Amino acid sequence: MSRVLDLLGFSVVCMVSTCAVAADNTGEGRSANRSADDEYSVSERNHWSFVERSNPLPPMFASESDRNWIRSPIDAFVLRQLRKTGLRPAPPADRRTLIRRIYFDLTGLPPTADAVQQFVQDDSPEAYENFVDELLTSPEYGERWGQHWLDVVRFAETEGFEYDRHHADAWRFRDYVVDAFNSDKPYNQFITEQLAGDELEFSPDDEIGRRTAQVAAGFHRLGPIRRNAGNPEVAFSRNEVLTEMTNIVGTTFLGLTLGCARCHDHMYDPIRQKDYYQLQAFMAATHDVEIPLADEQTRNRWQEKTKQVEAEIDRLTTAIETASEQDRSRLNEQLEKSRAQLPARLPALFSVKNDFSNRTAIHLLEAGDEFKKGIPVGMRTLGILSRAGESANPPDLSNPRLGLARWITNPTHPLPARVMVNRIWHYHFGRGIVSTVNDFGFNGDEPSHPELLDYLAERFVSNGWSVKSIHRLILLSNTYQQSSIHPAEHHAKTIDAQNRLLWRFRRRRLEAEEIRDAMLAVSNRLNRQIGGPGIMVPVEQEMIDLLYKPTQWQVTEDVTQHDRRSIYLVAKRNLRLPFLEVFDQPDLQTSCGTRVASTHAPQALEMLNGKLSNELASTFAERLRIEAGDDIADRIHLAFLITTGCPPTEQQETAAAEFLKAEPLHEFALAMFSLNGFLYVD
Amino acid sequence: MLLNVSENMLDSRRREFLRDSCCGLGSVALATMLETERAQAETRRTNPLSAKPSHFSPRATSVIFLFMSGGPSQIETFDPKPLLNKLDGQPRPAEFQEAKYQRIRKDAKLLGSKRRFRQHGDSGIDVSDLFPYTAHCVDDIAVLRGCYGDKVVHSAAQYELFSGRTFPGFPAMGSWGLYGLGSESESLPAYVVMPDPDGALEAGQPMYANGFLPATYQPTMFGSGQSPVRNLEMPPGVTSSQRRKTVNLIRELNQANANPGDDELAARIRAYDLAFRMQTQAPEIFDISGETKETLELYGVGVEPTDDYGRRCLLARRLVEQGVRFTVVVSGGGPGNLQWDAHNDIEENHLRMAAQTDQPVAALLTDLRRRGLLETTLILWGGEFGRSPEAQGRKGRDHHNVGFTMWMAGGGIKGGQVLGATDEIGMHAVENRCHFRDIHTTILHQLGLEQEELTYLHEGRQERLTLIEGRVLEQIL
Repeated sequence: MSRVLDLLGFSVVCMVSTCAVAADNTGEGRSANRSADDEYSVSERNHWSFVERSNPLPPMFASESDRNWIRSPIDAFVLRQLRKTGLRPAPPADRRTLIRRIYFDLTGLPPTADAVQQFVQDDSPEAYENFVDELLTSPEYGERWGQHWLDVVRFAETEGFEYDRHHADAWRFRDYVVDAFNSDKPYNQFITEQLAGDELEFSPDDEIGRRTAQVAAGFHRLGPIRRNAGNPEVAFSRNEVLTEMTNIVGTTFLGLTLGCARCHDHMYDPIRQKDYYQLQAFMAATHDVEIPLADEQTRNRWQEKTKQVEAEIDRLTTAIETASEQDRSRLNEQLEKSRAQLPARLPALFSVKNDFSNRTAIHLLEAGDEFKKGIPVGMRTLGILSRAGESANPPDLSNPRLGLARWITNPTHPLPARVMVNRIWHYHFGRGIVSTVNDFGFNGDEPSHPELLDYLAERFVSNGWSVKSIHRLILLSNTYQQSSIHPAEHHAKTIDAQNRLLWRFRRRRLEAEEIRDAMLAVSNRLNRQIGGPGIMVPVEQEMIDLLYKPTQWQVTEDVTQHDRRSIYLVAKRNLRLPFLEVFDQPDLQTSCGTRVASTHAPQALEMLNGKLSNELASTFAERLRIEAGDDIADRIHLAFLITTGCPPTEQQETAAAEFLKAEPLHEFALAMFSLNGFLYVD
Repeated sequence: MLLNVSENMLDSRRREFLRDSCCGLGSVALATMLETERAQAETRRTNPLSAKPSHFSPRATSVIFLFMSGGPSQIETFDPKPLLNKLDGQPRPAEFQEAKYQRIRKDAKLLGSKRRFRQHGDSGIDVSDLFPYTAHCVDDIAVLRGCYGDKVVHSAAQYELFSGRTFPGFPAMGSWGLYGLGSESESLPAYVVMPDPDGALEAGQPMYANGFLPATYQPTMFGSGQSPVRNLEMPPGVTSSQRRKTVNLIRELNQANANPGDDELAARIRAYDLAFRMQTQAPEIFDISGETKETLELYGVGVEPTDDYGRRCLLARRLVEQGVRFTVVVSGGGPGNLQWDAHNDIEENHLRMAAQTDQPVAALLTDLRRRGLLETTLILWGGEFGRSPEAQGRKGRDHHNVGFTMWMAGGGIKGGQVLGATDEIGMHAVENRCHFRDIHTTILHQLGLEQEELTYLHEGRQERLTLIEGRVLEQIL
């Protein structure tokens, strides 16, 4: 049966797959076939991701060996699929592998040699669970999982395009995300704050809550923005901004490629062009705002001072134009001094607000062209997930985006919970239950374990949308703790070459940020400071010269800041760090739900000849000298423990010892950064 | 060609294919052949950049894009407009309709051209006196006078010129080409951009980039400083033989605990060997001391104002000789007037920019031709738009995207012809109109790639360079 839930006039309609019945306002069912006033066919309504979540029970097993393998309900779902094909799961990973796996997975950092040792020696049954809990409550957890979210919302601190202007306060959004993961903010709240934080009500004494939500609403400003020189195409630019705002809502929360319906009805999904613009209408009054944090007095003083200095600058600039050669250098000096006196900008919140007097009239646009306006449209949620015949919302809704958020976070909405648990699964296993994590439409992949997906989504919602509860469920499963090596690999591959069914754990290469952070960590150089404005590290002058405004790159003066975790480096669209770029950091322009891991020679050149790797190799070598002393075998042993979590094999030890007879320790340390055992997680 | 988001998946597909195609052959006579095949397969499997078969037989194996950034004027170069000269100083007659401009005012007047045109070559194509050298090569050139794009501002137009989209985030044509065909060069980067040392362009680095394609397909920027390629030079104090030992150590340590037949790790080991080769062989590309005096003079190397662009054009030829797939040689960078962006004074700007590039461009065509490389090297010349028939200020021209000129040569292009036309004042493209997408389609076609087949799944769409359409310019093939 169908269920309709009204909230602020928005409803979510979910169809139960076995009995596709649409509902009307009275809740009475209608015929299963497409009715006269439902423009969607039964097969469209019944697409697996649009139907109501089922609430499946974990399967039971007759055989004792099967039952013994099941530690978490997840295992039961996974094992059933494996058994159907005659496959068996891989044996459990050894403890060294396992601890390295969860450390990188949850914190993006390697375990220290001590942590490995402690875990290996602790054979209590709770040891693993304790580690999981410890890591889930560590501040590094939010830094790692926050980065995943920043990938999806294509977070950057600059506008891209020609001017690539910096948003000096955008870092607050990054910190907001890190905090949200660390505090296990309920996901429905997380969605609501990003979509409508500025529309939420707070009691006068909850200043922190209000500010936090305003920062979250900066979500709408994260896309690239084109600024024009000369005649501004005002309407056109506004349309581009609204396009960015609309598309990302679909991608991020709904796992739908809404953007495809901007120019025409969606080619694959039952999303009409009208749906696109009706959803866009929720953002029609949304405009940028910088909310000052300083009090009024300070702001007035700042303005006064600025005006004063600017007047002086103007005066000097004019004087220089007509000055004699002699006077010019003196005046230039004065000009420099004046410029230095401009007061530093005052902190503000990077946010949005509604300006209803400045609401953009939303029309259907032929081929997405602002100059080919079709009929005007109002706000309405997606037709396929709304009641047939439901009319558009009135244009004067006082909190339009809150309405949108309520619709999306409705517990019965079929998409957001599935999409989010699938993202979590994807980051743990390297592949989602639905492999197309940003596309749950007809053209996306179908779930490899549909019941498991629903089970997790159901648990997610019933656990108060707790992300950490899903982590625990997954991490404590035997599925997660499998080895990446299967004794019958060859056979298993003939049945399931892609390892969709999870007959073993999927080895992965570290992501770009993890590689940099791990190199800093093993060299004892990582600065673990949390939060704050983005850091600019030194880069080759030639890269700066290639910026349209080279002055934008102002290297952070305090050099200890250059060793911060990668998530705290400024995310600039037109200047990405080559080190991160070469290891497949997303391009910061479009949403990235799945990173690629390519292998090519420029990576090797970066590791062999790059400034960072060579500098850190020296530091790492120094650490080996200090901690392992003069004995070559000790140094080798320690180097392997620190970088890979394992002692060297005999063959490795021999090769390394042979090398170190004649070659410098620096070169050995550099080689350790290129070790598969360092760059990959098993 | 169905290619997917993950390199691993790609690899494993190749692997499956290879297994299917290799097993069952037991004959001893076939052993040698099989061994060779195996070696090649090993290369293909472990090197994502190894040369891949094209969709059909290609005419061109390399592409050089001579990118005149900022937008060179059609009216001053390849598209003479006597009527415009006649109407100089008058308002634009209504029959020529409107165009969107960036800075031109409503009361602007038409601006005639001071350039003189003459017919050149056997083909008798009009080329202005800005390009006396290029004019000599006009029989190799197909002039496209009916070009148009969708945007009249630099950044968006530059993105469209390179990636077919007016916004950043999509792979540039060079990355697509590489993705489709791999590289023929073992020891050189396969997609090279040589920016103008004068500075940046509006669209910045994302214009040349691989977008959502794996980093394997990213461009390599050649700088103008002492070490033109990032990370090719070993750190100070490290010798090549020492580095060889380090690379060997990495290999030994990695092989020590790898599963035999583990392709991903084999690919990594291979990447280090390749990197080592690049490090020793790639710098040779920059050493032009072996070029004859005649060649250097041909390109205008060592003489101003051609030295810089001449050097880079010569490098482009050397790269093509080594099998580099896609090279962009940028003319113009930094503030607009150091590009072809002649807002203030079309004469001053274009005389200067043409003097820097005309001889090197012609030299490149001549040099490639005499070495027999022009047949397989496709040259594209042009900017992100042209310039307005109406004056900006007294003697400048504004951006102009609705009708302008680009040209192509080599790589199977039939030279000595003109395709397309603008109206009588050089305003709108009116005949055989040619969108950037048509140029992209034609480039892919000459490389032996089918635009519909060269796709990559991104955000639920099989994305391609040409969006949803694009026409091969059959007339010039």
